[in-house]
Amino acid sequence: MTRRRTIVTAAILAGALGLTACGTNRNEAGGTGGGSTCDTSKGTLVIGMVAPLSGSLSALGLGMRNSAKMAVDQANQKCTVKGYKLAFQPEDDQATAQIAGQAGTKLASDPNVVGVVGTLNSSTSQTVAPILAGKNIVQISPANTNPTLTLGDNPVQSPKRVFPTYFRVATTDLVQGPFGAQYLVQKAGKKNVAVIDDGKTYGAGLADQAAQEIQKLGGTVVAREKVGEKDTDFAGVIGKIRPSNPDAVYYGGEYPAAGPLSKQLAGAGLNIPLMGGDGIVDAKFVQLGGKEGDLATSVGAPAENLPSAKQFIDDYKAAGFSEPFSAYGVLTYDSANVIIAGLAKAIGDGGTFDDSKRQALIDAVQATKIDGASGPVAFDQYGDTTNKVLTVYQVKGTEFAPVETGAYQAS
Amino acid sequence: MIARLAPAATALRIAGGVLTIIGTYLPWATFVLNDGAYPEKSTLNFFVDPLGVTGYRLHLLLLGLAVIVLTLLKVQPTGRMVRGLGWGITIVAVINGAYITVKGGGLGAITAADGVAFGAIVTLVGGIAAIVGGVAGGLGERPTLSWRLPWWVEWIVLLVVFVIVLFLVAAVLTSGGQGGVVNVYAGAVFLSLLGALSGAFAALSASGLLGWISTVSERHRTFSVIVLLAMALGLPLTAAGTEYWMTVAANIGVYAATAIGLNIVVGLAGLLDLGYVAFLGIGAFTAANLSGAAASIVGIQLPFPVVMVICAVVAGCFGAIVGSPTLRVRGDYLAIVTLAFGEIFTRVAQNNIGGLTGGANAIPNIPQVSLFGTAFNESIRIGAVRLPSGVLYYVLIVLLVAAVMLVFANLKNSRLGRAWIAIREDEDAARAMGVRTGPIKILAFLTGAMLAGLAGAFFAHKTAVVAYDSFRFTESVTLLAAVILGGMGTIPGAVLGASILFILPEKLREFADYRLLLFGLGLIVLMRLRPQGLIADKHRQAELVGEPEPAPPPVEEEPKKAEVPA
Amino acid sequence: MGAGPIRPGPHGFVEGAGLLSTFLSQIVNGLVFGSLIGLIALGYTMVYGIIQLINFAHGEIFMVGAYGALFMFTYVLPTAWQQQWYLILPPMLLAAAAVSVLVAVAMERFAYRPLRGAPRLAPLITALGVSVALQEAVRIFYPNGTSALPFPNVFIEGTWVIPIGDGVPVRYAGILVIVVSLGLGYLLNGFVERTRMGRAMRATSNDPDVARLMGIDPDRVIVLTFVLGAALAGIGGVLYGNYLNNINIDIGFQNGIFAFTAAVLGGIGNIRGAIVGGLAIGLIKSLAGQYLPGGTAYDYVWIFVVLIAVLVFRPQGFFGETERVRA
Repeated sequence: MTRRRTIVTAAILAGALGLTACGTNRNEAGGTGGGSTCDTSKGTLVIGMVAPLSGSLSALGLGMRNSAKMAVDQANQKCTVKGYKLAFQPEDDQATAQIAGQAGTKLASDPNVVGVVGTLNSSTSQTVAPILAGKNIVQISPANTNPTLTLGDNPVQSPKRVFPTYFRVATTDLVQGPFGAQYLVQKAGKKNVAVIDDGKTYGAGLADQAAQEIQKLGGTVVAREKVGEKDTDFAGVIGKIRPSNPDAVYYGGEYPAAGPLSKQLAGAGLNIPLMGGDGIVDAKFVQLGGKEGDLATSVGAPAENLPSAKQFIDDYKAAGFSEPFSAYGVLTYDSANVIIAGLAKAIGDGGTFDDSKRQALIDAVQATKIDGASGPVAFDQYGDTTNKVLTVYQVKGTEFAPVETGAYQAS
Repeated sequence: MIARLAPAATALRIAGGVLTIIGTYLPWATFVLNDGAYPEKSTLNFFVDPLGVTGYRLHLLLLGLAVIVLTLLKVQPTGRMVRGLGWGITIVAVINGAYITVKGGGLGAITAADGVAFGAIVTLVGGIAAIVGGVAGGLGERPTLSWRLPWWVEWIVLLVVFVIVLFLVAAVLTSGGQGGVVNVYAGAVFLSLLGALSGAFAALSASGLLGWISTVSERHRTFSVIVLLAMALGLPLTAAGTEYWMTVAANIGVYAATAIGLNIVVGLAGLLDLGYVAFLGIGAFTAANLSGAAASIVGIQLPFPVVMVICAVVAGCFGAIVGSPTLRVRGDYLAIVTLAFGEIFTRVAQNNIGGLTGGANAIPNIPQVSLFGTAFNESIRIGAVRLPSGVLYYVLIVLLVAAVMLVFANLKNSRLGRAWIAIREDEDAARAMGVRTGPIKILAFLTGAMLAGLAGAFFAHKTAVVAYDSFRFTESVTLLAAVILGGMGTIPGAVLGASILFILPEKLREFADYRLLLFGLGLIVLMRLRPQGLIADKHRQAELVGEPEPAPPPVEEEPKKAEVPA
Repeated sequence: MGAGPIRPGPHGFVEGAGLLSTFLSQIVNGLVFGSLIGLIALGYTMVYGIIQLINFAHGEIFMVGAYGALFMFTYVLPTAWQQQWYLILPPMLLAAAAVSVLVAVAMERFAYRPLRGAPRLAPLITALGVSVALQEAVRIFYPNGTSALPFPNVFIEGTWVIPIGDGVPVRYAGILVIVVSLGLGYLLNGFVERTRMGRAMRATSNDPDVARLMGIDPDRVIVLTFVLGAALAGIGGVLYGNYLNNINIDIGFQNGIFAFTAAVLGGIGNIRGAIVGGLAIGLIKSLAGQYLPGGTAYDYVWIFVVLIAVLVFRPQGFFGETERVRA
């Protein structure tokens, strides 16, 4: 490079630097978050989260993260916890148990963590729950469905609470599966049902419970099949169930697979309804192939009847997150709010938080009775949600419309 | 062009050092960032309190001083050492400058938006000046120091060096605190410390000291190994002795032990295995079933050492089974076959074959290992010292990894190991020389699988749940990446690779969304720039990189060349 | 040939059980899936034939093509066109092929070419890295890429029911897949066997140094190989999206493994073999899922079992030559 060119380049660089001296994102308040008027003199408390933020389940995990963050931000604006600022710390567990153990230990060893929202998979909770229980940190899961987490190794015959710090707002398969089966057999009149699941904890558990209930009620499970968790080509399994002439299909799984399955059923000549659990209740279900007449169950009363649910949807949209809140966003929002409300109660007006208050927080959570975006939230003696109200939805036009709401009654 | 600056080399080097020191004392950030003040009082100008620098500014001060001192004292090989230090300075400047810029929303944060702060830019210029000055003045040869001291002095030197290494490791692990919401800049502090350390290491390596220490430790190999083991066991006593790091270290250990097994298959015998995590899974499920967990189909509970042996044997059997059909298949086909076996394992485990794997519900609530009544995940007390929970698992995995490394070292230098290397280099030639390739390849799979099975037994108890989704294809790729990153065929390589792959995501939480993307790009870059890995096996180095380049001609020759017309 | 709407019975579906019709419908399913796999396998087999590299990232090229077509549909094509399949199909095919080719050429130029002389492991690991990086890049940068996205119909919707026994449903989308895949395979075979460029490809795959001596530029031939394979995979992406009406970022990896299996089954480096191998894989999957114990949960397992068996007993595959010793 000649000397002249060097000088010119240097001059341009210096000029560029000077020009860009204008660029900053400094807030006027010069600190964290504008316009906050809460008293945060006592410090920061952390609400943690363990969920898959990368990898194949990240769609669900990121929705959970955004919903919980929104709950924490709202609490900070409303000064729910007196004297403290709330911070939100999501940790990625990559949907594997060993990484979840690391994430759980990280949160557990931070004395500022008051509670953890999570996890998504039941297997990761199996690792995280003992770690958090050991430190008396409350954990609320919006998505675990394996009954053994709350009811112990023998959930049906001898239920026994395992972790005093573990709660969940998701219903277990023991409730949702039979509820759906009851509607399908008794109200919709489908007596020959083919049951399919995707092999994952949620889907397989749900399908198993539904199949058992169908048979208990006098229906017949004409076919019981399993598909791969990432499958979207169901020609094989549809060809397999056709000869048994099912009049409905119960699918345990989520909407990315349920939608195509429903469409391909129709394409193969089986114009029968597909029924699923809350995993398929999503606007995308119809876009991906759900057809008129498909059914699903979901926890809680319909969102239209719940102003809190509508408020959540509006708030989420206003917050401008780049991912949708997906299947577990509403429940995560409620879980986070339960912890925040319990924390506010445990600290009271002007108290401080320390280890001795952890038990008070757990007791406050146990005694929770609030109206969340998914309905009334309260816990039974095992930590399971007492919200046994479920709604049956049916696809009418391009979305799910509620058909029937009721409390689950064991048959 | 750089060579033409040769007469100015010394001046450049000193200028680099001086600019670095000035940059240290200038403010780095023009305002307090929105997420909280950047560490080490970056908005402050330290000319009022010269001795108050801490953190990365202290590192820069030391590096800059070192550059000046080395240049003035003409310590050989000056050029190389100054270049190394210069790189360290540049990296620290870039990292901290970049973080402040990004968090501050624009270059104004490090220039002049709301107050003056040119610390990052001045230091960057200083670092580049040091690099250019170092290269321009002639790099100099890396000396081979051959001092020989009395054996007990050398022992003390080794001891001191390894203790320093232990504290450096603890410092790197705990740098920036635990990260998360309260410590938003933990990633920056971590990277910056790594940058500074790499600069210091480059200089030490250039001076020949690192080479000398390596030779000394080779001379006293047994002593070195014992001290290193003691240092590893001593980690819980340092600042990194928290429950969190014990868990991370335990996971690293499991993957390291498995990766060493993979190192036998891929590194020594050259058999590319893409479904290796299945053996870890087989070991883990076996241990889960024999642990007395309620969900296990076998109702017995055996003592842990017995379970470890059984797991190794079962996994080894499967290794031999997987190995046998692959004997006729080579190279890339072998990769696909092993991938197929891995997928078969995942699918079979998910479907709960024979009730052995719990399927989607996994096998939860596996009891902890306990010794004399103390469960391994409890915190224990030795005398007056309280050790963190999980320390017993940590000790166990360190001993396990040490044992596995010992096995690997012995195998590598044995007849069997040489047979494997012969097969890797050229199978037909090996067969021509009388090596029975079939049984030996099966032995490679068998041994590798046994080591993975051992690790699996530990994994089952530490994680307390064994689920099929812990053993997917992504984990196999991670294991392979660990072996390759650390260096194929070398003994400490797999441990180093596993450590890096676990610690980086933990420390750099802000990149969690991009973790897999960076991993993929990292693999591409690694294969392009350093395919032999970090710790290069001598064979691999020659195979992949070629002979070292001859020393560049001395600078005086250039003017002569310019005289000859083209 | 019976055509027309599905005849509904009293319960809304076709009455009567028929073993033959079940068998035939599984055959149809297998042929559809298999031809798609064969189309993707063509890319694998050609690249392996010419530079002995398993391009792990080829599955992602297929995925990227599908996303490229979806992008064209969602953001570029005017809404008025979206109802007519013949207006959206050509631009989407073009977009898919273009995006796939771009990605493949970049991949070859920046990731594989520098490693041309390196031992086998290096390009293989690089391919794994490219595969992961591409998946994540789409997930992060495509709007809503994290979840499954609906894919429009680009062909006539509807099903033709062959009136045998219970009725054998054949979707028009499935017919499109079979016809296009087999057609393209036939064309590619013709190209390689009869044109000059095809001869150049075969020469380079046989012995690149001699080919260079004969005046062929191996670099250009290699790029052409990648381009052809990628274009086919991209088109496959559109066919896949149309058949299943949804795409997600995982489709590359899953279908990629099957495609490579098909290429190996048929004899790697052999174009006819790739198609035949693909059809074989498709049939194994459907028939094993229908008739073998374990059902559809284990259908993939059987494919891999067959792969292992073939590699053990006939490593050169159906159409391959006996394995030559490679240096």
